[in-house]
Amino acid sequence: MVTAMALIVQLALNTLQAGSVYVLFALGLTLIFGVMGVVNFAHGQFFTLGALLTSVLVPALREAFGMGVALAFTFASAISIVAVLALAAVVYQFGFRHYLRDTVGSFILSVGLLLFLEGVFLWVFGGVPRVVPNIAPGELRVFGAAIELQRLVVFGIAVIITVLLYLMLAFTRFGRAIRATAEDAGAATLQGIRDKRTLLYGFMVGSFLSAASGCLTAPIAVITPAVGNDYLIKGFITIIIGGLGSVPGAIFGGLTIALIESVVGYYVDGTMATIGMFCVVALLLLIRPQGMLGHVQH
Amino acid sequence: MKVKLGLRFCVIGGALSMSLLSCPAMAEDVLKFGVSSPMSGAAANWGIGCDWVGQKAVKYINDHGGVRVGGKTYKVQLTTYDNGYTAAGGAQSAQAMISRDGVRYIVQSLGTAPVQATQSLSERAGVILLTTAWGKSIKGPKFPLTFTNSNTPYEIFEPLFSVVRSQHPDIKSVALLNPNDSTGQQAEAQSKEVWAKLGVKVVSSSFYERGTTEFQSIATKLANSKADAVDLGGSAPGDAGSVFKELSVQGWNGVKLYPAGTGSDTLVKVGGKSVEGVYMGQAADFSGATATALQRDLDTQAKHVLHEPLNILQMGVWDGMMALKAGIEKADSIDPRVIAKALPTTTVETSYGPVGYGGKSTYGTPQQLLVPVIITQIQNGNTVEIRRVKSTDVNGS
Amino acid sequence: MFNINHSVVLWNVALFAAAIVWLGVSEPSYLTQLVVWSAINAVLAAGMRFVLLIGETNMASGAIYGFAAYVTAIAVTNGFDVVPLVVVTAAIAAGVLGLLFGWVTLRVKGPYFMLIGFAFTEVVRLAYTRIDYVGGNSGMVGIYAPMSLDRWMPALCVGICYLLVSGFFVAEKSSFGLLMRAIRNNDKVVETLGVSALRVKLVCFCMAALAVGAAGAIHAYSYHVISPGDFSFLIPVYALAYAKVGGERHIVGSVIGAIFLTVVAQVVQGAGALQYVLFGGVIILTMLGVRGGLLDMLGWVACRRRRAGAQRIGLPKDRTSGELG
Repeated sequence: MVTAMALIVQLALNTLQAGSVYVLFALGLTLIFGVMGVVNFAHGQFFTLGALLTSVLVPALREAFGMGVALAFTFASAISIVAVLALAAVVYQFGFRHYLRDTVGSFILSVGLLLFLEGVFLWVFGGVPRVVPNIAPGELRVFGAAIELQRLVVFGIAVIITVLLYLMLAFTRFGRAIRATAEDAGAATLQGIRDKRTLLYGFMVGSFLSAASGCLTAPIAVITPAVGNDYLIKGFITIIIGGLGSVPGAIFGGLTIALIESVVGYYVDGTMATIGMFCVVALLLLIRPQGMLGHVQH
Repeated sequence: MKVKLGLRFCVIGGALSMSLLSCPAMAEDVLKFGVSSPMSGAAANWGIGCDWVGQKAVKYINDHGGVRVGGKTYKVQLTTYDNGYTAAGGAQSAQAMISRDGVRYIVQSLGTAPVQATQSLSERAGVILLTTAWGKSIKGPKFPLTFTNSNTPYEIFEPLFSVVRSQHPDIKSVALLNPNDSTGQQAEAQSKEVWAKLGVKVVSSSFYERGTTEFQSIATKLANSKADAVDLGGSAPGDAGSVFKELSVQGWNGVKLYPAGTGSDTLVKVGGKSVEGVYMGQAADFSGATATALQRDLDTQAKHVLHEPLNILQMGVWDGMMALKAGIEKADSIDPRVIAKALPTTTVETSYGPVGYGGKSTYGTPQQLLVPVIITQIQNGNTVEIRRVKSTDVNGS
Repeated sequence: MFNINHSVVLWNVALFAAAIVWLGVSEPSYLTQLVVWSAINAVLAAGMRFVLLIGETNMASGAIYGFAAYVTAIAVTNGFDVVPLVVVTAAIAAGVLGLLFGWVTLRVKGPYFMLIGFAFTEVVRLAYTRIDYVGGNSGMVGIYAPMSLDRWMPALCVGICYLLVSGFFVAEKSSFGLLMRAIRNNDKVVETLGVSALRVKLVCFCMAALAVGAAGAIHAYSYHVISPGDFSFLIPVYALAYAKVGGERHIVGSVIGAIFLTVVAQVVQGAGALQYVLFGGVIILTMLGVRGGLLDMLGWVACRRRRAGAQRIGLPKDRTSGELG
């Protein structure tokens, strides 16, 4: 007999854990849009690369150095993130730098990039589904609900990264530079903020977030070169709900779609949950286009 | 500099496309075979594996004297085309295959929608189409040039579910889960029908979008339905493994079925202990003792190259090519229409051994290659064959 | 009102007639199919560009295109044989859908309008997969023109597409087109003149929907089989790519871009995983190359030639500046 309590706790656990990764991914997306005015449709490819590299490196490191899973995972993630950042730098320098604040142009460029990278990943990594061994074996049982320990670890790390990001944006010089550039690039330059450099770093922070969410997804999902596409769609839905360019909005949006996914996925099914998410988005865009926590675009 | 680059590209691109577009004159002694499969997205590995098996079969045939027709020897050649798992993709790849590249024999094709699109061209253009697509509507007297290489739910589910029921007579309810695509929809329909026949109640039936990575809530729903059995239909192997894993975390422990799944290796990789005892109907283990020497050999090589063992759909490419070779030689003609008339009475040396065509009672004409239905179960992480249903048992034609 | 360049019109009519005759006379082959697909894509690209003229990105065109295709499929499989009537009906149905959608959503702008269109396309696609009447995921089959017309279908399809693209061109050059551009510039100013910006946007959107709908009907007749996966957000994304890659400056750019990328997509068929690498690579290179797309690249070539020619006969360089319009 499933108690109502157990069900609520289970759905809440599902929501929080899935939502934390959506939030991380969407934060990167919203940062890039807010700072650079660029719609990066290839954001999911950075996620995919992070996940793919991690899933390939963990067994490789374990075999080469005899490391435990958790340690191998840490090193693998670090290496993957560095690789993604390098790719992001290249993509920015040769691509997005020429399409700043051009929504449509940057979008098309990113579409080309998405197709290109998806093909490259398929070619290099093959279509084989990959799995990372459990980084924290065991389960947590509470009030009749259950969740894997490694999912809690992922949740914890995602929360920490989110908090650090928030602190960085609010209190460091660099964070303020990013916010200033997002608000008004011209005025920011007049204040002595190096516009181009800030944009590059902003893009890299956004891509870091995408890669980090990819690495964190590796232990809890099956990784193929197509894994980023699902997150991409959900990422856009998240930032629309939360407001393009809003950090608290991304958090709110991420948790909202995780909630819809959990609840509708439970009471109806997965496809209806996806349809439901899109309908919520459509409605929200009509009633409050700037998102729940966004500012009106001038 | 940027402009020059663009211009140079334009010129090269133009020249390239013109040269590639012009219909290549068909070499007199080469038979062109084709495969139509998704080669991107979540199903990418199917296409890559199919192509690999196909090239192996090509080499085998060419090394063993090619195909002999009317005293002449032909070599064979195979190209795989991406059909994107959509109708438009199927139509475009069919045009490239048939009209541009002159393929007359399609040895394998996956996905109901793309196969329907391909069929609308192949039947009119007189091209033989071998497929694994499940739709009943794809075969029949209206489509004389279409044949299937492997079993579909209409051949598999009844024997499989009967075996499961006989081993677990106390199952009274089952919960279904399928991906929201043609594979899943057809598996779901057939599952419902067969479970009803066996007197087991379907308490819930859900669909999920291909590409989903989060299965927790789906698993919660399945677990809370309190069904005695869970039937994952045509779900992808990785997804099925994730669902079983979540089910065990959430404490559900009943009879597990994965009737139309093709990859037991991925299932075990992802699901670990939670997939112990899963029954499957389309996941033969080609490395086991019950596989033929040829299948074991191909499987071992595939593991090296593809990092994954072969599945039934990919093995079907080998069988398809052997079927065509046998049909061509029996008909003593390279005309697809003549071959199509000869195929139903041909015995094909498939990877399973000699097999014939049948399926008249289900489809109207014998267009189903009657490879055995292999029912397996995961025991101690290994795929163990528990029953092999030979062709005559299936539908007696 | 119009500034008609007679030679351009004559050239157009001549080429059009030649194309139709060639299509009518030739056996249906790979090349004729390619021409039909390029024509359909040209209409999609021109439609996308038309809505770009009011400053909006129409991501709902996937849903509208698909809706018309499904209406066509339903009509044909239920025995409605008269091709022009079916095409017109499908186009009108698409127009009505566009009207409803636009009326509700056009008050929203920019990235928001783009994303709501995106959401709409995906919801409609997912809905098709769950409706048994239209075949669910397996789609609908058997969408053929009657046998007598079969031979003329490529010519008919390309003819319709050509007329649609010309229609866009005429609308763009008319005073309505000026109004559209004015709204893109600053809709508040236009409103002070007593024009309802929303109404103009709606008319523009509906015109695009009608054209895209007709293209959807032609899609159904050309592919003979349709499935929900054919009408995903990739339709408007590719349409945008055709328009941008070809060159936004002029409608001919959309046509060139559509032909170019359709051909590239077909050329890379059979290349496996490399297919996406090549197709994506082409888009990237063109976007990073000349900003005005292929049109400006060709213009640049023409300019260079003029420059070289001028050099030869000794004209000063600045007379033949390499600047692109």
